[in-house]
Parts: sequence; C-alpha cells; structure tokens
Amino acid sequence: MGNKRNKILLVILASLIAVLFLIPLLWMISTSFKNDYEAIAGGLNWFPKNFTWDNYTYTLLSQAIDVPIFKWMFNSIFVGIAGTLIIVAIDAMAAYGLARLDVPFKKVLFPLFISTLMIPFVITFLPLYMQFSNLGLLNTYAALIFPYTANAFGVFLLYQFFRGFPKELEEAARLDGANKWDIFIRIVIPSARPVLWTLAIFSFMQIYNDFLWPLVATNTPEMRTITTGIAIMQQGSFVSSYGKLMALTTIATIPILIIFLIGQKQLIKGITQTGIK
Amino acid sequence: MSAEIENNKKKRNWKSNFTSFLFVLPYLVMFVSFLFIPLIYGVYISFRDYNLLATDHPFVGLSNYAKIFNPDSVLSSIFFEGLWKTLQFVIYSVPLLVVVGLGLALLLSNLPKKLRGIFRTVYFLPYAVSVSVISILFLWILDTNSGLLNNFLMNLGFDPVPWLTRQPFAWISLVAATIWWTIGFNMIIFINSLNEVPEEIYEAASIDGSSAWQKFIHITLPTIRPIMLFVIIISTIASFNVYGQPYLMTRGGPGDSTEVLLMGIVKQAFEQRELGSASAMAILMALIMISISVIQFKISNPKKERRGGNGK
Repeated sequence: MGNKRNKILLVILASLIAVLFLIPLLWMISTSFKNDYEAIAGGLNWFPKNFTWDNYTYTLLSQAIDVPIFKWMFNSIFVGIAGTLIIVAIDAMAAYGLARLDVPFKKVLFPLFISTLMIPFVITFLPLYMQFSNLGLLNTYAALIFPYTANAFGVFLLYQFFRGFPKELEEAARLDGANKWDIFIRIVIPSARPVLWTLAIFSFMQIYNDFLWPLVATNTPEMRTITTGIAIMQQGSFVSSYGKLMALTTIATIPILIIFLIGQKQLIKGITQTGIK
Repeated sequence: MSAEIENNKKKRNWKSNFTSFLFVLPYLVMFVSFLFIPLIYGVYISFRDYNLLATDHPFVGLSNYAKIFNPDSVLSSIFFEGLWKTLQFVIYSVPLLVVVGLGLALLLSNLPKKLRGIFRTVYFLPYAVSVSVISILFLWILDTNSGLLNNFLMNLGFDPVPWLTRQPFAWISLVAATIWWTIGFNMIIFINSLNEVPEEIYEAASIDGSSAWQKFIHITLPTIRPIMLFVIIISTIASFNVYGQPYLMTRGGPGDSTEVLLMGIVKQAFEQRELGSASAMAILMALIMISISVIQFKISNPKKERRGGNGK
C-alpha cells in the first residue's frame, strides 16, 4: 500500500532530522577526546586519530587556578537544588493558600502575582544587582539563589492543580480535628507530588542553565556557576583550545542531560499545562 | 449572648485568616524583595544620573529617557540600533521557530506510535543544554577553518563560509543555533494541540476524498490557530531576550551588526557604569515586551471562550 510506503519515507525523514539534532552533541564529545592540534587541523574524523583523555584530566585535575571546575559544578548544583527546594516549598504553600484557604486579599494577591509573569527579567536585573551590591551580597550564594524564588510561574502552575483537588479529603481530615498545616503536609502535598516534580525540574533547569544573572551577580572565579565559568574560559585561557573547551562543555552538560531524561515526562506536562517558557 | 457568639466568630475568623495568610507569607516576602522592590528601585535609578563610581547620584527627572529619544545623543543610537538588531533577530527567527516547530510536530504525529517517543526525545534534547554550551559548541562547529560544517562543505568542493564573521552568515548562524536549541519546546506545544483535533473530523474529510494538504489547511490549521498565535508570541518574547548567543558566538560582530539591545544595556551598565541610563533603556525594552504580552493576552482570551463553547 502507498500508505505503508509513506510511513517508511516519514521514518527516514524523521531519522535524518534526528541525525541533524544529534550531530552537534556527538561532535562535542568527539572533539573532547582529541588533542588541540588534531581539533584545530579540522577534518571530519569522528573517531580521534590520537584518542586522549588529556582534556578531561587537565580540566578536572590540573591545579590551574582559573579552572576550579569542581567548584563551578558544586556551585551550579548547590544553587540549583537550594533554589528549587525553596521555590517548591513557598510556591506550594502560597498556591494552596490562594486556591483553598481564607487568605485575606487573595482576590488581589493572585492577579498581582500572575500579572508579573509578563514582566521580563531585563527590567529587574539591574536594580537586583544594585540591591545585592548595597547589601554587600554580590558574589554570594544568596545572590545566586533568591532572585529566582520570586518567579510566579510555580504559584500559577500549582494554583491550577489545587483548584481541581477534591475537597472531600480535606474535609474528612478537618472533621478528625487536623489543622490547616497538618492537612497541607499530610494530605495535600503527597497527592500533589507529580506536579511538584514538574515544578522542581523546571526550576532546576532554569537555575542551572541561567546565564545573564550569574554573570553579573558574581565576579570571582570561585563563585562562578558552570555556565558562566565555561563562557569565561572560552574568552580566557581556553580560547580556541577546542579539545579542552569541549571536555568542559561535555562535563557541564552531563548532569542536566540526566535530569532532563529522567524528568522529560514532567517537563512536557508542565509545558502543555501552562505553555510558559 | 448572640453578641458574644458573633464576637467569637469574628475572633475565629481573624485567627483563621491569619493562619491562612502564613501560607502565602514566605512567597510574598520573596515576591516583594526580589520582584516588587526591584521594579520600583529600577524606576528610581532611571530618574537619576547614576554612575557606579560616583558617590553622588543626582535626580535628573526624565532626562535619561529624553536622551534616548534625542536622535543626536549616543544613548539614542545605542538604544535604537540595539532595538533594530534585536528586531532583526526576532524577524529572522520567529517564523522559523513557528513553522519548523509545527513541521516537526506534524511529522511526529504521523509516525508509527512506537517511534514517536524516541524521536520526540531527540528533537527536544538540545533544550536541556545551557546557552553557553550551545554557543561555544556552535562557535566550534561553525569555525571558518577548523569547523565541522566548513570541512564538510570543502569535502563537497565548496569554499569555506565565514559563518560568524560576515553577514548575512552571522545572522543565519545565530538563528540556526537558536532553532536547534529551542525548537523542541515549540514542538511540544504543537504536539499537544494537534492531539486535540477530533479524529472524526479527519475521518469525515477522508471519506469526502480530501487530500492530506486540504485536511491540513481546512481542518488542522483553523483548529490550532489559537495555539499558533500563542507560540508566535512566546517565541517573539524569547527572541527579544536574546543575549547569550550573540554575546558568545559573534561578540556582537561582524562590526556591531549583531549587537542586540540587551548587550547594549549590559555594556552601558557594566562597562560605562552608567546605571541610570541603562535602567531607562531596560525599562523601555521591558515596556515593549509587555505590550507584546498584552496583545497575546487579548488574542488568547477568545480561545478560552471557544473551548468553553465546546463543552470542555
């Protein structure tokens, strides 16, 4: 049947496009195992002629003062996890309060929060910089974590979930004498787990991958995150040393790729529910 | 006695309101500290001659804004030339981000069910990677002498192309890297909206003898139109925010042809150390973007009514 042949053609087309999507990542890995001469010499050799781990041992183990890559990875992962935990905790509380409890002025607060989803980061990043500078908190974890926690995205996402949450469970617990906090911790949070994971994955990826804010909020090598650190290496001592740069970008990409592959379902759910970048 | 009950009730209400408010309080603190105050503070800075090195930051009223709109000032050329470059990036990237995103979604939804998941993952994969990794990776692939692409082209007998150092190639490269990076996101939104097109309508159209193209034009497109407008808007906003790609891949070059507005604002703030005028530019840029969001809001509202009409 023509239909079947069409399907096969579509699969071939999809595979060719898939190759286009994978080539850059595979080339990154391939280059990371080449020495700088082989990399710079060009050519199309996907398998390095002189396979070497040197780029990895150099970037990971050398004492070169401007490549504290373990510190960068630690910073990124620490800031990502801390920020994510805060966001999930405070957004879940706020969204539940606004959706289900008798919070005063909630008819004003919720629209106020949601309207800020339209406000682009460009308008707040300079005053944020000044605020942290005035407090002497530039170049600290506080500066790298707190600005993300004001984002209303999580409140919006979780509000929709709590709105549709069945009332009967809460009421049964209330009759048993449980207070609001008990109900929230023991009943609401456990049943909200999937949507909380969605928010967690979004938040972690956003913080881990962010570029502009950590670039302006930090100014010493030890406080850089991995995304800003590699950008600075590319302009500094690794300039056109592509073997080392590709080892660095490969290392930087591994954790987030693992998170992505584990959390892909939640991520897709979050995008389709809210459509917010 | 009834007054006492009334009183107790009020007390209880007050207590209940208070404990409920505690749920919102932590987020509210963050919201005020890191969003609300910065907004006000940003406006405050923009009304001042705020040099980072000076100890005194005199109030200058609207003079920073006036300079931006005075065609003879340096500030004006930074703002409007930057805005024009940002707009160019928007104009080049958004149509492709929408059309390619939709194309990939259509392709996926026509694949055998078993294969959809794997291809979706592959197309979506680059979205996980940070802008600095993407930029450095493309910097390497597009390198004029040693890059993968030019080596491939030379093998086919073509001359090497100065992908990052001459126009229009620099724009092409920035747009290509951006599409590779973010297209999966738009694709996911389109896949979801394609799933909402009722199967029966397609079947009815098949019985009527409609071709695949006719079905696409007369059934698919009208159904997903609200989502399409939505994707156009969010892609426009995302493209407006472009910074990392030109900052790392072209350094604003060749010349200053890709020095987008956000780059100009960051330079004004941290190289010229003129926070006041940089804040004024940032506020104007944000106002332009918010206007686009408001238009989105107006466009996406009728969508909800229509969905409601379908009894969903």
